[in-house]
Amino acid sequence: MPRIPYWNIDYGIIIDLLAIPVAIVFFYGLYQQWLLIKQGKMRVIPSIDNMIQGIGTFRLKAFLVRGILNARLYRKPASGIAHGFVFWGMVILFIGTNLVILNILFGLPVFSGGFNRWFMSFMLDLAGFLTLVGIVFFLVRRMIPPDRLRLPEARKGFVPVSGLLGLILITGFVTEGARIAAAAGSLEAGAFVGNFLASNLISPALAFEIHAVTWWVHGLLSLGFVAYIPYSPLVHIVLAPVNVGFADPAPNVKMGVMDFSAFENEDAEELPALGADKLADFTRKRFLDFSSCLWCGRCQEVCPAYNTDKPLSPKGVIVTLADRLASGKLDESLIDGISMDAIFNCTTCAVCMEACPVSINQPKTIMRFRQNLVMEQSRIPELMGKAVASLEQRAHPFFGTGSGAAEWRKDLDVPIFEPGQTEYLLWIGCSVAYEQRAQKIGRAMVRILQKAGTSFGILEESRCTGDPAKQMGNEFLFAEIAQQNIEDFSALGIKKIITLCPHCFNSFSRHYPKLGGEYEIIPHGSFIKILMDEKKLNLVRKDQLITYHDPCYLGRRNGIYDDPRTVIAGVGGLVEMPRHRNESFCCGGGGGNYWAEELGSRINQQRAGEAMETNADTIAVACPFCLLMLTDGLKKHTEETKVFDIAEIVDASTV
Amino acid sequence: MHIAVLAKVVPDYLVPSMDFELSNNRAHERFSRMLGLYDENAIETAIQIKEKTSGSLTLISYGSENDIQFLRKGAAMGADQLILVKGTSDDAAVIAGNLVTALQSIDNVDLVLAGQQSADMDRGVVPGILAQMLGVPFIPQIGYVDHENGSWTVTQITAQGKRELEFSGPGVLSITSIPENVPRIPAVRAIFAAKKKPVIKLESTDQKKMALNELEVAIPKIECVCEFIDVEDPGQAVRILLNRLNEERYL
Amino acid sequence: MKTLIIENIDLKKIGELKTVSRYFCELPDIIALGEGDIPGNYGKAWQSSQTLPPNLLPSIVQLAKLENYEVILLSVSTLGTGLAGPLSAALSAPVVTEVTAIHSDMVIERPIYGGKAIIKQKIESTPVVLTIRRKYFEPEVLEGHTSSIPLNIESEKVQLISEKNEQTDGVPLEDAPVVVSGGRGIGNADNFSLLQTLADQMNGAVGASRGAVDEGWASPTRQIGQTGKIVAPSVYFAVGVSGASQHLAGIANSKCVVAINKDEEANIFNRARFGLVCDYQKIIPQLTQAIKENR
Repeated sequence: MPRIPYWNIDYGIIIDLLAIPVAIVFFYGLYQQWLLIKQGKMRVIPSIDNMIQGIGTFRLKAFLVRGILNARLYRKPASGIAHGFVFWGMVILFIGTNLVILNILFGLPVFSGGFNRWFMSFMLDLAGFLTLVGIVFFLVRRMIPPDRLRLPEARKGFVPVSGLLGLILITGFVTEGARIAAAAGSLEAGAFVGNFLASNLISPALAFEIHAVTWWVHGLLSLGFVAYIPYSPLVHIVLAPVNVGFADPAPNVKMGVMDFSAFENEDAEELPALGADKLADFTRKRFLDFSSCLWCGRCQEVCPAYNTDKPLSPKGVIVTLADRLASGKLDESLIDGISMDAIFNCTTCAVCMEACPVSINQPKTIMRFRQNLVMEQSRIPELMGKAVASLEQRAHPFFGTGSGAAEWRKDLDVPIFEPGQTEYLLWIGCSVAYEQRAQKIGRAMVRILQKAGTSFGILEESRCTGDPAKQMGNEFLFAEIAQQNIEDFSALGIKKIITLCPHCFNSFSRHYPKLGGEYEIIPHGSFIKILMDEKKLNLVRKDQLITYHDPCYLGRRNGIYDDPRTVIAGVGGLVEMPRHRNESFCCGGGGGNYWAEELGSRINQQRAGEAMETNADTIAVACPFCLLMLTDGLKKHTEETKVFDIAEIVDASTV
Repeated sequence: MHIAVLAKVVPDYLVPSMDFELSNNRAHERFSRMLGLYDENAIETAIQIKEKTSGSLTLISYGSENDIQFLRKGAAMGADQLILVKGTSDDAAVIAGNLVTALQSIDNVDLVLAGQQSADMDRGVVPGILAQMLGVPFIPQIGYVDHENGSWTVTQITAQGKRELEFSGPGVLSITSIPENVPRIPAVRAIFAAKKKPVIKLESTDQKKMALNELEVAIPKIECVCEFIDVEDPGQAVRILLNRLNEERYL
Repeated sequence: MKTLIIENIDLKKIGELKTVSRYFCELPDIIALGEGDIPGNYGKAWQSSQTLPPNLLPSIVQLAKLENYEVILLSVSTLGTGLAGPLSAALSAPVVTEVTAIHSDMVIERPIYGGKAIIKQKIESTPVVLTIRRKYFEPEVLEGHTSSIPLNIESEKVQLISEKNEQTDGVPLEDAPVVVSGGRGIGNADNFSLLQTLADQMNGAVGASRGAVDEGWASPTRQIGQTGKIVAPSVYFAVGVSGASQHLAGIANSKCVVAINKDEEANIFNRARFGLVCDYQKIIPQLTQAIKENR
């Protein structure tokens, strides 16, 4: 006998009619969320197509893959699967409920035949059961929470809403069980939970009464639940996929560049703050970030600063902002609450962004604070201040260096870039010119290029792209240096640049185009790979194990993972560290922290230890800053010199 | 309160010894130019006094017009105006005399600060000469400056420690670096505002030169005879080191 | 040439100036400041308990004019630096500070550009005011005493409120036969105690580079270099000191520099007689122990 809607229920239609006010309450709640987000500043970037509400461009693929399929959640299998159970279970139950409504309204024959057995009975029971399993997992975990959920603060509101959902599922099953029990003896094919309850727990004598009560309880609770969603942490059902859809898919923090031309005008005092000191200084996209955050702490768990007992937690920062947003305190200064130390401890490695299931851009928020500290408040840690001052005065941040500008190429015949004749500019940058250990990278690369017969040249005097200033929050100095470089490059007719440092690469490829400097930029590792592919290098593959440390600005920020590995595989055996590729652990030097008095324990020692444990003979890097940080970090573990740049390794393996 | 700071634009004082070279008996032009090391400490100290007393601050320099771009940093840090006396002399008396002219061109200077010594000539003598010309006391190597009940309380960093001194009326102080006067990085707004601050250019006046005749400037040779001691076994290394120190009668 | 020394009563400082005075005269006069007997022999000796240059200045100027001194010798100190400029202006005398060498014919040498260059100048008229960089001239051993005439001080423009000597215990840095100096490589303030223990074993003193002082790990009175103290010990241990030229200027007269630095390319090795490339924490305790045992 097919199921009859409203069986055993009088005035059951009330439930359906109640759906209308519930929908109103639900959408009103979402509207409230929008009102919160709308308080953020609108982005005004003419070059961005299809800007929606000053938030950004909406991207369907990201929305579907990371927003709906929740691809990143499954990196933590247990909570990923539990979340999958609840999410997909509820999706199926939602479909089921809608089919019932269609049955009532249009007589859609869902309660008959195989469809009833396999979908309406089995699938819905299975969905409900798995959802319940997921809910139990989440409730238990809330009772014994891991640190990432608990610290520095746990988001409230998950327990009541999960409990409510659990209750809805249980009453649903009891209602089903009672309905089956009432039919006295004939079980319903496929409804394994309902059948189990009917046969074991519900006496047929009471079935009618139980059913009548639980049907209403289930229905009313469900409506209440739906209405409650936008007012509970479950609002992420809506916000998270939207936030993901609005996230720029490029693998980078996407700091953009700043235009300072407005400051030339008389009323510069009236201009909005540089960077951010208070909530009101952030954009709508950041407001959406703060609202979408579930405080899951996956960012915190992978953060190099947090993992070495520094006062920074990316979760902590977002939580502080979310709290302020909830309490409407838009104009209160936030920086001292978060602490200057925390703000400068960020290495901008972006591993937090990479780990975030809802695509929040934590580094950008942190960097906005840093920009405000440096550019508005003149506050910067002393060593970083010296580096910035040196960058301004000497065009490089290595104050107190023992090397002159040309020392790195002493006794080496390096061609100077000749306009119209030289093909590639070999960009030396600051560290390779002024830091004695890093100088060897430049020398090695010059020898490689000369062996391969590449047409290349260098600038007469090495200088900086301005990247360290940018990382330390001084966008203004960055813009000045970059504009000067662009002018000089144009005068020399430079079109193709080989970089030795991922920070230079990132600057040239991400930020210079926005200032009018478009070039073909090739990181040295990738260029070596090209030379290898073209058989221009006589490589001798040695019997050596090499592990490779992904520089943040090459890997996570620019997606270049394979080229350096191919190069290494060409000269030795590659062995991976546990954290590699997009999960690579920072060397500690990013975000200007090469010039930091490190708080807590040392990031570079932790990473060097991880590299040591691979038992590799050589630790390869593709960044001079990683080279310096890991060389220093390794000294805690061994006296041996094991850290080399890929250019040095290749140079030593060519004949 | 009106504070004047004397500052000098000098060639990069951090040029490594190995890279240092001369042209016409002075640091090579290829080195970047910048505000002197202690001059920035003096400017920072002055800004702190200015902020505490709601005063004003004039930055005075003797040098070429090309120096103005570097002096602007002082304005961005917090100086209200710049005065440049155009001149090229390296003579301490000539510089001091010209700076006195500049100081006399502005009203009511309550205190004059200068860096402990310029980062090129390293003399530290100009502020003292200038103080005598103005007829006010000169106190060198000052760390902290405070203004209380109409008089100045200053802390001098001496070879043995510190001493606190008090005087009233104007005076000239030379400032040394302490953790509290690390020069600030100017805020962006201040950098733009500094571009609009007044720059007064004065022609230099004739001053009596000191009776010193410069004969020669040379770069001293640094010998490199370092004997490296193997540190594989620290105990052994220590023994070798002590033996060698005894052998060569250093200990 | 008639020479006047102005110095606080301090055997070493006066001894050095007495040595320098030999370039100009047989027997100099002196204005000795502070309490106690004036060590050594002089033509005339004045004395005052006043030590603040602005308060001393009028009397000194008066005396210098009256006695027609041709050379006035000071050392590089708050006293010498405080007097040199004003004296030069008051006497219309050329002034040369931080003198490191004196040649015949009134030719003197001093460092410029943070010690990266040396300038040679000829003094073409007298009177002349010179401040002598400490530790460049062997101090004369002062014997006997000279009785003094009090120097009248008219008014006190500057009042001394308090004086605090931070280096109360141990050997004064400038006079220590052994100096153990720490730089930025030391890493934190606490580890300076390792250096102190070593210095104590050798009757030495602890110094610091500008970097370490800037970090607040060591008091500014410990700073060695161009802008701090100039030392001339027999053995100078540079621990975690990179060896910026400004620092090297302060140790130019050290007889033997031992550099301990984990960066084998640190500039300090260019100045060092002995070099140990390693983490100082491995060496210093061993060294302290070994010296203890040797005694």
